[in-house]
Amino acid sequence: MKRILGITVLSLGVAMAWCFPAHAAPKGDGRPDGGVLNYSEYGRPATLDPITSNETISLRITELVFNGLVGIDEKQEIVPELAERWEASKDGRVFTFFLRKDVKWHPREGEAPRPFTADDVVFTYNIMMHPKTITPLKVRYEFIEKVEKTGDYTVVITLKRPILNALAKFSFKIIPKHGPANPQYLTREDRFAHSPIGTGPYMLQTVTGDGEVVMVANPDYFKGRAHIDKFIARPFADQNIMAQALMFNAIDMIVLVNPRNLPEVQGDKRFVLQPYNALSYSFFGYNVRNPLLADRRVRQAITVAVNRQEMLDSFFNGQGTVISGPFAPGSWAYNLDVKPLPFNTERARALLTEAGFRPGADGIMEKDGKKLALSLKVPIEKESEAVKRVVLAFQNYLKNAGIAITVEFKEWQAWKEDVFLEHNFDIMFASWVFDDSADISSLFHSAEIGDWKNNFGGYSNPEVDGLIVESKLTLDHEKRRTINRKLHAILAEEQPYTFLWTLTNYSAYHRKLRRVQIHPYKFFSFADEWFIPASEQK
Amino acid sequence: MRRYVQTPGPIGQFSELSLRQRAGPLDLVYVAYGLLVVAVVVASYLLGAFGWLPHDPQAMDIGLINAAPFTSGHPLGTDFLGRDLQARLILGIQAYFLPGLLAITISVVGGSVLGILAGYRGGWFDTIITYFDNLLDSFPRLVLILLVIAAFKADIYYVMVVVGITGMPVIANLIAGKIAFLRQKSFIEAAHALGLPAHTVILKHILWLNCRALLVIQATLGMAEAILVETSLSYLGFGVQEPTPSWGNMVQAGANYFLQGNFWPSTAPALAILATILGFQLLGDGLNNLLEGKRRK
Amino acid sequence: MKFAAIKPVSRVLARELAVTALLLLGVSVVVFAILYLAPGDPLNVLLEGQSPRSQLALGMREALGVPQTWYGQYAAWFGKMLQGNFGNSIRTGLPVLPELARVGVYTLTLTLGSLALTLLIAVPIAVHAAAHGGTTGNTAATLAAYVLSAVPVFWFGYIVVYVFIHQFGMFPLISGTAAKQEHAWLYFLVPIFVLGIASGTLSEMIRHLREELSRVLAEDYIRTARAKGAPVWRHAFKEGFLIPVTEIMSAKIPFLLGGAVIVEQVFNWPGMGRMAWQAAQDRDFPVIMGIALVAAAFVRLGNLLQRVVFTAVNPRASKE
Repeated sequence: MKRILGITVLSLGVAMAWCFPAHAAPKGDGRPDGGVLNYSEYGRPATLDPITSNETISLRITELVFNGLVGIDEKQEIVPELAERWEASKDGRVFTFFLRKDVKWHPREGEAPRPFTADDVVFTYNIMMHPKTITPLKVRYEFIEKVEKTGDYTVVITLKRPILNALAKFSFKIIPKHGPANPQYLTREDRFAHSPIGTGPYMLQTVTGDGEVVMVANPDYFKGRAHIDKFIARPFADQNIMAQALMFNAIDMIVLVNPRNLPEVQGDKRFVLQPYNALSYSFFGYNVRNPLLADRRVRQAITVAVNRQEMLDSFFNGQGTVISGPFAPGSWAYNLDVKPLPFNTERARALLTEAGFRPGADGIMEKDGKKLALSLKVPIEKESEAVKRVVLAFQNYLKNAGIAITVEFKEWQAWKEDVFLEHNFDIMFASWVFDDSADISSLFHSAEIGDWKNNFGGYSNPEVDGLIVESKLTLDHEKRRTINRKLHAILAEEQPYTFLWTLTNYSAYHRKLRRVQIHPYKFFSFADEWFIPASEQK
Repeated sequence: MRRYVQTPGPIGQFSELSLRQRAGPLDLVYVAYGLLVVAVVVASYLLGAFGWLPHDPQAMDIGLINAAPFTSGHPLGTDFLGRDLQARLILGIQAYFLPGLLAITISVVGGSVLGILAGYRGGWFDTIITYFDNLLDSFPRLVLILLVIAAFKADIYYVMVVVGITGMPVIANLIAGKIAFLRQKSFIEAAHALGLPAHTVILKHILWLNCRALLVIQATLGMAEAILVETSLSYLGFGVQEPTPSWGNMVQAGANYFLQGNFWPSTAPALAILATILGFQLLGDGLNNLLEGKRRK
Repeated sequence: MKFAAIKPVSRVLARELAVTALLLLGVSVVVFAILYLAPGDPLNVLLEGQSPRSQLALGMREALGVPQTWYGQYAAWFGKMLQGNFGNSIRTGLPVLPELARVGVYTLTLTLGSLALTLLIAVPIAVHAAAHGGTTGNTAATLAAYVLSAVPVFWFGYIVVYVFIHQFGMFPLISGTAAKQEHAWLYFLVPIFVLGIASGTLSEMIRHLREELSRVLAEDYIRTARAKGAPVWRHAFKEGFLIPVTEIMSAKIPFLLGGAVIVEQVFNWPGMGRMAWQAAQDRDFPVIMGIALVAAAFVRLGNLLQRVVFTAVNPRASKE
């Protein structure tokens, strides 16, 4: 199971408001309905509602069951979803959404479906922000001042301050007012968290005894009924077994194939391997509270001592790109002019010498009698030998450069407490997953230092702070791009992280599935368009 | 109350027929194999402790991943990071050796104390200790260990304390049984009649003269348990962590390549586990048959 | 004899029930104590991304109604448990008890199934060895049992999966689709087979049964019966067979439950073991507490049954 380390902030190109014609019930695009899609997940979802869930498995399920006010199309542009159109005030602080009138909530058993109205939007916002609701969304939507209903199908959202690409942030999933048992706040105990109803293309039918999540096509879906009858998420406890399950047609799709299983699937004509660019990257993060790491030269030395390309080639079959800076590659903010620091052990030693270190008797560099020995904390993921390989190779490279690393694997929860709460680490290994493009303000701004905040390393640089604030306040896209390029260059020089790489993700699925488009982060955004030819439905 | 104990103990109601069966020539083979395993384990432990290894166990050769046995320079092949398997197998003994000894010490000392209290003092002690034994026996060991891991942390020494404590009831039962047997033969009464002080009777006459074989046997079986627990936990991801090698985490890491047909990286440590656990178990059972069997003749 | 047995059996049963209740109380104290001593705050799991030191956390605590003293906490927890409320999982928010009941069935199937298999293998070998002494055949079988008992069960699991996949072209894992496929029963039997063979109980079972049986066979009354030409097995059955078998069964339940944790992981078996593993990772205290309690209850129940059989077979025991 992949846990979300979450900056999941949307910021997309500016989209214009336009209307969208209403669909009739069947899609009427000539493609056949029917068939079942079994897909595998590594682990089980904790909850199935969009508010309390915080891992990727639930995220993928909520993408099938719910809708936001706006959505994102294949070209990464904002399109109407529950809102059919909208208006923004001149100062960019007030957004008025005009909602579709033909949307119905999934019916509960024995009940008639209820219509979706403005009340549900207000309700969703309020429940999300309630102090007793525990949700990762709260931090992301603190920029909203209020959400008001001005008519049954009109909602006005007022922001605390204008922000760039605010529209994209309104893709949060709307839940029904009559959903949760407790109308005040949502906890994981609420029945709604386990048998949610939404407006999306699929309705949750049941969660079986062995943890399979069964979803059936919503006949009243406002974009037209999805083609495939049933989606079933099957939990697996072992990734090797998962790959075998695909080979034996026990499942039709693996959302994310482990790199070591790629050759196997590649050689098999029954399956399609579809790459998709996840907006994420891996890194080693430094705790600059440690005086040894406060020196930029030491951090640079570590980076150049590590052969990132070799690791990428040997451990991931070269399926990815080494990166140089803090933005998700592929986003407009990424500065391609900044090149990754090249691997050079000599240079690493030179940098350390410059910083005042001398080799000790045991080959480990020392300064004022203090050894350059650091702890590296890594979360345990039972089967992720890729993570093990990377951190152990890292340790090995650094040994050659005279830096001693003690690797400590910890259970996920204990690791999070060490890194984000106690700040009891020197180096940590993790990946950031961006939900779209880039907003790195929470990673490196000095105001983000503190309990459970994302600047866990305590990195503080007035220049960076200034640029981050400037970038947030600038509404002009070009200007903002320039600022971010500069930010990228500075952070590449400063190396608060050793930025590693972004990996190409592969999904594997049976050829019978057609027209498969994959959203890089939410995965199933376009699943209502997928279909299985009648002859292969079985 | 009649209690089931793990090994055929010295409770002493066996007839001659079963005695004859029990001390057969096979027991000598068991013990010989067991002693061989112990010798290899201890020697390897010392090699590892002093760092006399055929190869640097941490040195990686990223170009030579999962090499087969008999690759030049790596007689037993390499692992998923191109590290020498032979060196890591030897070093892997460190992962359970001292923790295992800790577990054994706890169960032997704790078990003896409880056993003596129950058997020698008797009365309320016996009732309470029986209760305590049954209480500990109620938990599946792995579940109890997972509980401790969730509450504290995945540290092998915490785990081994649990293994040690859960190993106490068996020993306590055996010793209590032995004391009951000795009482039956008026052995203890005789010792008291001779005016020997209680601690001499307990330490010398009960523990040393009558229970030492039993304790050695239990300690041997305890080591097998410790290895089993360490490897199982490492398989579950809660045991000894990389880069420190342990046989369990080696099997687990190698298992990732098993289904693709690359058996060796997980099979090598699995065979080491098999051979070692078998050795300790056979040694324990063989000794039990030989020592405990002979004594009563 | 049958009539005479009834009174002692009911009396023994009552005593055993009381002992079981007392032990389960002790189990709850142990479980509570471990978690009470745990460092860190389980609430952190919930407060991910929010400061646990804030007002909010205090509010949460109050909302959850956590008493301040340890005995208060224990009493509150125990009281709820008596009402069948084991709390809600921190991770999923679902009530623990129904969840445990759901997955417990799977684990019970797995453990009892493998216990039956182990017996099926152990009994013939033991009986043969007891009746005929150490022939080459049963010595070899005993040795093989030793070796099998030392095999690491996870590795054995992988071998079995590999063999099934590559030799039989079958995928021996249970999942929703498997149940509808041909040979669905096989998908259930394979994990049972693995746990039954390699859980480390086989050799012990053989040894125990063989020794008990040969001891009984050597006893005077059996010798007498044999001398009279009466069927020996009828006499030896109760004491030499029934009692040792039930004894070892009840003693091995905890081992099998432990082994199930691993086998469930390999075979994607949706039981308590996997749940325990997940809970240990997430420090999901209510779940792991519930599992420990339910597992201990299984063990005690097995023990209780064994005592009942023992007393029913052997009325003398009630006077012990």
